[in-house]
Amino acid sequence: MNRRHFLKMSTATAVAMAASTAGLPGGKGLFRAARAGTLPIAPQGSMGARETTSVCEMCFWRCPIVGKVRDGKLIKIEGNSRSPVNGRRVCARGNSGVQLLYDPDRIKYPMKRVGARGEGKWARISWDEALDEIAHNMDKVRKKYGPHALAFFDHGASAEHLRKIFINLGTENYTSEPAFFQCVGPAALAYLETVGYITTGTRQYNDMANARAMLLVGSHIGENIHVSHVREFIAGLQNGAKLVVVDPRFSTAAGKADIHLAIRPGTDTALMLAWINYVITHNLYDKRFVANHCQGFDALKKEVSGYSMEWAARICDLRIEDMKAAIELLAKASPQVNIHPGRHSTWYGRGDVGRHQSYAILTALFGAIGVPGGIYFPSPVPLGHVECVAEKSEKVAPIEPEVSLREDSAYPFSSNFGTVTADIIKAINTGKPYPIRLLGINGVNVIQTIPDPYETMKALKSLDFIFCEEIMAGETAIWSDIILPDAVYLERYDGVYAYDGLTPYVTVRQPVVEPLFEARSPYWIAKNLAKRLDIPGFTCPDERAFIAKELEGVDYSLSQLNKEGGLMTLPADPYRKPDKLKLDTASGKVNLQVEDFEDEDLDPIPKFEPTPAPPKGYARLIYGRSPVHTFSRTMNNLWLHNEIPENKLWLNDRVARQLGIKDNEEVVLENQDGKRSNPVRVLVTPGIRPDAVYMAHGFGSKSPLLSRAHGKGAADGFMMTRNEEDPFMGATSKRTNFVRIIRGGKPLAIPDLCPVPDEIPRYTIKSA
Amino acid sequence: MKQYGMIINLDRCVGCHACAVACRAEWQVPTREGYRRNWVHRLGPANTSHGMSFTFYPGLCNHCDSPACVPVCPADTVEMTFRDPESGKTKTMEVAATWKDPFNGTVQIDQSRCLGCGACRDACPYGARYVNTEVANEDIGGEGIADKCTFCMPRVEKGLAPACVQTCITDARIFGVVNDPKSEVAAYIRKGARRLESAAVRIGPNVYYFGKPRDLELLDRTSTPQEMPEAADRRRMLASLMQPAMRRMQTAGLLGLAGAMAVQGLAAEEDE
Repeated sequence: MNRRHFLKMSTATAVAMAASTAGLPGGKGLFRAARAGTLPIAPQGSMGARETTSVCEMCFWRCPIVGKVRDGKLIKIEGNSRSPVNGRRVCARGNSGVQLLYDPDRIKYPMKRVGARGEGKWARISWDEALDEIAHNMDKVRKKYGPHALAFFDHGASAEHLRKIFINLGTENYTSEPAFFQCVGPAALAYLETVGYITTGTRQYNDMANARAMLLVGSHIGENIHVSHVREFIAGLQNGAKLVVVDPRFSTAAGKADIHLAIRPGTDTALMLAWINYVITHNLYDKRFVANHCQGFDALKKEVSGYSMEWAARICDLRIEDMKAAIELLAKASPQVNIHPGRHSTWYGRGDVGRHQSYAILTALFGAIGVPGGIYFPSPVPLGHVECVAEKSEKVAPIEPEVSLREDSAYPFSSNFGTVTADIIKAINTGKPYPIRLLGINGVNVIQTIPDPYETMKALKSLDFIFCEEIMAGETAIWSDIILPDAVYLERYDGVYAYDGLTPYVTVRQPVVEPLFEARSPYWIAKNLAKRLDIPGFTCPDERAFIAKELEGVDYSLSQLNKEGGLMTLPADPYRKPDKLKLDTASGKVNLQVEDFEDEDLDPIPKFEPTPAPPKGYARLIYGRSPVHTFSRTMNNLWLHNEIPENKLWLNDRVARQLGIKDNEEVVLENQDGKRSNPVRVLVTPGIRPDAVYMAHGFGSKSPLLSRAHGKGAADGFMMTRNEEDPFMGATSKRTNFVRIIRGGKPLAIPDLCPVPDEIPRYTIKSA
Repeated sequence: MKQYGMIINLDRCVGCHACAVACRAEWQVPTREGYRRNWVHRLGPANTSHGMSFTFYPGLCNHCDSPACVPVCPADTVEMTFRDPESGKTKTMEVAATWKDPFNGTVQIDQSRCLGCGACRDACPYGARYVNTEVANEDIGGEGIADKCTFCMPRVEKGLAPACVQTCITDARIFGVVNDPKSEVAAYIRKGARRLESAAVRIGPNVYYFGKPRDLELLDRTSTPQEMPEAADRRRMLASLMQPAMRRMQTAGLLGLAGAMAVQGLAAEEDE
């Protein structure tokens, strides 16, 4: 034995001895556990790590959380145990905030485009250079083309301060959220006009936990994960609520339903109107509620009288027994019946508002307003007024455009909500009614969101200047001239978050760790940009100052809140006794017939207008959410990508058999305009109608700066080249595109297994 | 003996994958292919004899009554004393690098003694184990370290729920004592919660699934193992090769396992 051998042996022995005294399992065993110096120790878990309370932003639901930090590194996120809505629970995305923070693909520094626009070549620059350049370009475009040549697309908590910059530069194009015009718009307007408040906005005031029956039309709770919403849904079911799900697809919710109606896409309003007629003619409605709290009943009764169950069964491709059983089941539970108002409602363009109006009408007929189990009223939380963040400054003299994109829109109900997003894209591409030459973008992937994406890309290419404030360089960021690295929600203060649902609370987003790299908070960015543009009003030194002002409204301070676990609860006032029920409409009653619509020559009571059926050989493309992803934002996240790295194309099993397509086989989609998708794997299932295919939204990123997500799965958005605009507010339809399957480069015609009744026209493809 | 177990209520489960991710976060499980302690498989939609089903297989180590993974471990045995925190009783057993705890019924691994041979992984009909080859006990000639769900014993001992149970957004997971008739777990078993067992695989898994007949049928059809796996020959060979060296060192006295491996290396060099 030479010396080296001896040393090796004695070192190993010493390690073994040390391990035995360190309390490892093994007790008095002869052979001690051994560790070499380079070995990992068993993971110690997250117990005992320092906890900071905050608020999640992996989606817009914003659950209260705690970040657990050890040795300066965030190791785990859990729910805030003080939270009445989620307690210690967070969803897969909430858990994965850790990997957003530490994603190696994060935008780390301000960056300037050096190649052609969209080419993806960048140079690192300083914050001063970046902000100087943005300010210079905003000023230049404003001077050359006027203030309205600036436009801002935004979503999420980061956007609020930057929006103030655009407002103060005098543009009318600042509230242009795809979250409204490509998502909740029609549902929000329908409820606002029918019951006087937006029952389904960022929050959804529907009391599923106390319902005895629930109706979901297309809502896919369970794949659409908002923790408290899912909890209320499951609580309702566990309390014995019956569930009716209307969906062309067998969703997670359908899997829990008592009755699943696999409806022909585009015919939901036909079913709703036939049900409303049935409820009225079979005396299943709440007569006292209708007499005391509704206006327009007689007109409604007359209007829906032509919609029979027999007719609807044919239109909707459903069995009449199932339709009857479903409406009887819902009626039996009234008034504790939850007609879910839905959220994402930009489906078919024409008729989208009417569809959601019909949900509100059925809710009212069942008397399910302001009662447990129905829709309820928010409990306002009186936050303090914050003066230190700029409102529209007096210094900005308003310049009215000759033709306003916002006020003179073709859609009578759009201007209250903002400038129609698709109109901004059109204005960029046509220069009419005035040129739009500069775009600011924050927190939204406009390319995968606003149809037609090819028009959007054309618009982006033609602009004088684009900048974005982002965390990850998705498809929008790669088109930008300057990218500003936004701080992750875990690195920054934001405002105060007040929840006004059934269990109101106030909590605060605060940093769990220091910002990494050169990321800056949205307030810091806006304040420093404002300085350069001579915009007054960002007078708070930092976010804590305005958090303090907001908390004054509920007589709290941040330190007090933090002493009490970062969250305070408030009393709720969600329900109304019949004599106290007064709605915030002109009449104080439910508008079964909406006069505001009639005034604009729109239908005051919904009518069924068929949307064209797929052309022969094609299926309708429908889409939804992956339960572990948010929009197209989270596909690059290490842990979420690991759970669901790509989407699958749901294809009816009979269709697959006829086409000879096997489960998990890779195919390409081609839409009615010849646009082709990325390759996508097929899920062969009886759980989708033969006349539709389905995939989860947000995959198939075209950004090479997302190393995991790039090119994984197919993007529904890139198949959306055909859309119809909703005549009420200009929301763009997203379920009006048709696809066929390409295998081995050859198109396969989708067999026509669902005969289309004469009342529904088929879409015809323009010959090339 | 108390036996810890878990109920997964598929009526509550929406397949959100929070359990799988929380487990990965809590125990820093790497994301390489097949590396997981806790998983969710999405099942269907598919037809069953009770109608269509779209359900999930949230899986983890079953901490079986007769675990197949324990007897195949080739690591040298050590004498280990277990203590029941409730009664204060102790029990001393000879265990290899993986064992079934005599007081709480969980199956555990001493990762500092794992050789990473993969015999346990291969023996488990549920695929509950993986071998992390990014790490190894090099001093004992290891080529990786086996890992799996511990039922979060380090958390449970501190009075916390397992990470997957704590994060479950719909409270679909219930952790508790299977053989305590007063427990919620036992109540679910009485209500019909069932194990994923087949004619050939009856090793007493202690994760039970509750749900509608259609969902249980689809779960069973897709996820119940139909045969006991054979540990791969390579593992068995490796295990048999290891054994003599260990025995040799046992006779060498108090050097310990690490010492044994060092001497084995020495012997190899001397042979050259």
